[in-house]
Amino acid sequence: MGIGKVESSDAELVGRVRAGDISAYGALVARYRDRLGRYAVHMIGDREDAEEALQDSFVRAYRSLGRCTDPARFGAWLYGILVNRCRTTGARAARRRRVFVAADEFDRATPNGPDELERLEWADLVERALARLGPEHREAFLLKHVEDLEYEEMAEVTGAGVSALKMRVKRAREQLQKLLTEARHV
Amino acid sequence: MSDGDELVERVIEQLRRPVGIDPALDARVLREIAADARPEAALRAKPRMIWPWLAVAAVLAAVIVARPWARRDVAGETPFQFVLVAPQAASVSLVGDFNDWDPNRAPMQVAHGVWAAVVQLPPGRYRYAFLVNGVEWRSDPTAPHASDDEFGTPSSVVTVTGGGT
Repeated sequence: MGIGKVESSDAELVGRVRAGDISAYGALVARYRDRLGRYAVHMIGDREDAEEALQDSFVRAYRSLGRCTDPARFGAWLYGILVNRCRTTGARAARRRRVFVAADEFDRATPNGPDELERLEWADLVERALARLGPEHREAFLLKHVEDLEYEEMAEVTGAGVSALKMRVKRAREQLQKLLTEARHV
Repeated sequence: MSDGDELVERVIEQLRRPVGIDPALDARVLREIAADARPEAALRAKPRMIWPWLAVAAVLAAVIVARPWARRDVAGETPFQFVLVAPQAASVSLVGDFNDWDPNRAPMQVAHGVWAAVVQLPPGRYRYAFLVNGVEWRSDPTAPHASDDEFGTPSSVVTVTGGGT
């Protein structure tokens, strides 16, 4: 899938924004909100911090739209801004206890039967394992396997080399397997 | 597929589920950028009106040593001269946080291969770059490089202090 050209042209919307049509930017925000939001939530681990990072990334992108040299690839450019913003927030938040997304779900929902309880427990396990990965490994794993980026796109977005990224993804997979296997045997 | 791989596939499936971002975020973003847009629209009109003066100032300034002026100007703004030596360039624009990175707002003037432009800057930290021939982004070789390079193009930083630099 990747983050290349999107069906109804990002370039067209970026052009309208540059001509002063703010509502066109609203369309871009709506288009990328959920996907980028998912990355931010998993990367940072705290919903409130993640939404703040996401909002800030959209605003920063708008203010620097003149630097988007290939408007057809607005999505990839936006990812780069968010990845950078999540690194800053993540470094700051690492000093605090992570509030897990799945734990949030536990708070909000009353499990409806054993299946639902099992799903929530699994979600909690996954978030905890993810949180134990180093930020570089978590970032690479999420971009590759959850956001479906190609390695070349990941290199563009993260500034890391392709071979380093492949190594990070491999290590992240190994660590997740180990952490989850241990957790299930506790 | 090994047990370990199956486990990771289940992790991926879990992480791909929607996380339910607050849809009101869209409105918050638009409110914030709309608040930006109004003063910027007013600023946009200003350089056009004073452009003839800026053009004259830029050409004169090109023969002067390439450093910011220390003199304070009206309304707390400081005139800053930006200079790039690029004898082969056909055009150079100054783009930055102060002009929305719009290459049409600060085309630079050339004299003997030295491109120059002067802009009025209130106190603050600004990122900027030079756009050469409309396609090539260059940072300022005489200024600190911006560390926040997530936008994918090189840029430099200038800090305008309250008392001038």
